[in-house]
Amino acid sequence: MNTVKIFYKDDCPMCPMAKRLKDSLIKQEIAVSEYDVGTADGLAEATFYGVMALPTIIIEDDTENEVNGWRGMVPKVEEVINAIKGS
Amino acid sequence: METTDLNLFVRTSEETLSDWSRDRIVHALRKETLIDEETAEEISKEVEQTIRKSGVRMVTAPLVRELVNAKLIEKGLETARKMHTRLGMPIYDVDSLILHPNKENANVPHGPEATNLTLAERIKKEYALLSVFSQDVADAHMNGDIHLHDLGFIDRPYCSGQSLEYIKRFGLNLPHSLSMAKPAKHPEVLLAHLIKFAAALQSNFAGAIGWDAINIFFAPYLEGMDDNDVKQLAQMLIFEFSQQAVARGGQAIFSDINLYWEVPKHFENTPAIGPGGTYTGKTYGEYEKEAQRFVWKLFEVYKEGDGADRPFFFPKPIVHITEKFFRTEGWQDFLYHICDVASDKGNTYFVFDRGETAKISECCRLSFKLEERDLRDAKEPWRMRYCALQNVSLNLPRIAYVAKGDDARLFDLLTERFVLAVRAHKEKRGFLEKLLALGEDGPLSLLTMKQDDIPYLRFDLASHLIGMVGLNEMVQIHTGEELHSSSKALKFGLKIISHMNILTEKIKRNEHIKVVLEQTPAESTSYRFARLDLRYFSPQSGRVVKGDIASGEIYYTNSTHLNVHAPMNPIERVTNEGKFHPLIEAGSISHIWLGEAQPTKEAIADFVIKTFRYTKNDQIAFSPEFTTCNRCHRTSRGLMDTCAYCNSTDVDGITRITGYFTKVSSWNKGKLGELKDRYRNEEYFGDTPYAINE
Repeated sequence: MNTVKIFYKDDCPMCPMAKRLKDSLIKQEIAVSEYDVGTADGLAEATFYGVMALPTIIIEDDTENEVNGWRGMVPKVEEVINAIKGS
Repeated sequence: METTDLNLFVRTSEETLSDWSRDRIVHALRKETLIDEETAEEISKEVEQTIRKSGVRMVTAPLVRELVNAKLIEKGLETARKMHTRLGMPIYDVDSLILHPNKENANVPHGPEATNLTLAERIKKEYALLSVFSQDVADAHMNGDIHLHDLGFIDRPYCSGQSLEYIKRFGLNLPHSLSMAKPAKHPEVLLAHLIKFAAALQSNFAGAIGWDAINIFFAPYLEGMDDNDVKQLAQMLIFEFSQQAVARGGQAIFSDINLYWEVPKHFENTPAIGPGGTYTGKTYGEYEKEAQRFVWKLFEVYKEGDGADRPFFFPKPIVHITEKFFRTEGWQDFLYHICDVASDKGNTYFVFDRGETAKISECCRLSFKLEERDLRDAKEPWRMRYCALQNVSLNLPRIAYVAKGDDARLFDLLTERFVLAVRAHKEKRGFLEKLLALGEDGPLSLLTMKQDDIPYLRFDLASHLIGMVGLNEMVQIHTGEELHSSSKALKFGLKIISHMNILTEKIKRNEHIKVVLEQTPAESTSYRFARLDLRYFSPQSGRVVKGDIASGEIYYTNSTHLNVHAPMNPIERVTNEGKFHPLIEAGSISHIWLGEAQPTKEAIADFVIKTFRYTKNDQIAFSPEFTTCNRCHRTSRGLMDTCAYCNSTDVDGITRITGYFTKVSSWNKGKLGELKDRYRNEEYFGDTPYAINE
């Protein structure tokens, strides 16, 4: 099962958009994990995936392999859903 | 009894024999400890009584002092006792130091100068722990919770990054020197100035002296020189640096030279300084070809090695690989050239400046990202002088033993130790500030000279390093798995370093002190921590420390590195170790141990490009092993007991200990244990053809 990971930080200008994306995806019953890179857990996860820009949205498969990602930008909900379905 | 009744001589520290005088005790106690006269009198009488009873005819001043200290303890005057402490060493230890080599730092050879250095270091170390640092900090160092690096050099900053432009512009004009040299007019003179200045700086810093963009700043002096002369200059530069073992303590200057194939963006439009310290009317961007000619020749010299074909230990060549590197004509040939050296002699360090970042490597692995102010300074590069005041490492496995598997306790302890390390930094900073305030008449006069209207040492910009030792073992103790065992363990390791990274940001924000994480080279610290933990946390530590407990060759894995013994594809090692690097601002490295393997230059180049493109790794180095013969003076590949050419057993092994090459015979036991464990990537770099332009 693919999951979506969203990386954000409190003071990043585009991050509120990423949070709205998260809400939309949850409404569509898509599993989303969110990570605040201002915390050790969030920063560790971001570093593991080589996230250098915020916000970042990553789709990964069961084996934690990244199948798609948007770094430093927020895609439309449909793009994320298509990426999940397409993979 | 009056003092004159005692027929006793005292051997004083001024090398004289004095008559016994009880008043001297009173005077010293009053002056040094500020205790009241009555108590001082009482102690002096008691000490005199003790000596009289013993019937000795001759005492030494140190003995009298210790007797006084014993009385101070009896009276519960602990603070006074500390103030009255005498620093020194037992005769047995001095004897041993004079006779046997120091193994704490493999860059210190054995000889009278080295003995002087070690003796001085021992006294200054004691002084630092008693007088510079608070009791909590000193105790934490003594018991191995933290390690205060280079305590023997307490009265100087730790390491530094320098610019050749300073001496090009101002000449060699050092405080209290017998002569002043104007800016050099000829390349050989500039080289002489560089070496002298490096030696002077070595006397004012504890550790590494790094030189930025050296081939670019030499370039204006090379116009009109033919290739043979440029090669000769390159040869002189490397030999001069590597033969500086006649400097302080018989120690070679731990020096890095930062090199570029391209002219980095921040120097492209910088007005170039040429012979005589005057502007040439061109920018450094216009000297690209000369700079390339010089760096090419430098690597020709590295490839040839020294007179016995050995790799040069210093200066360490650090090549910056940037996006622009790959857009600069001739990059492929140059990459093959430096990869050939990496494979053959191991010298080349590949530093990756991705995106728009630029770094200046200073110590073993210390590099700084250039910030806005630095980029402004790049227009006047002589201002680009950086330093770290001190390095403090945390014993990470220790925290895990104490936390006993409790996550909250683990992170709480980590914060506690981190805060203690910051306190250590503040204490050393305060001490150095005091020394620097003495200006030209003080011990650090060189660092206070103001040839460009600001003090040479830019104290306000100084960094304070916090290192880590044994992340791998910490994770092993806490989770049961080593970093390489699973992505869960690796992520937990990342969480530890993320926690430390967030703490550095908080300290910078709240306390305005520039604290940065560094991968501690830990040449002796990884051994020291392992030994102390074996003593205090057995039997648990016995299952975790690496190496061989029976022989005492034990160690913790350096910094955030993965277990050196774990068989692993080097790409996997570089990728996973590289995941930590963005969190460690002051620089990191991954080592690829080659053993006897000698990969093709194409294979190394392919590896370097892949590391740059597909990982976050900051820096890599390839380490071959050599055996050099002291009889026939030839050098062969691999670590062997006898010379491959003449069968002599009078041989030395040579390979990289941490951030530099040195003879294995000078290594401490911990590093010897690590050397035996290192997994050599001898099979990975096989015969596969590589094309780097694909």
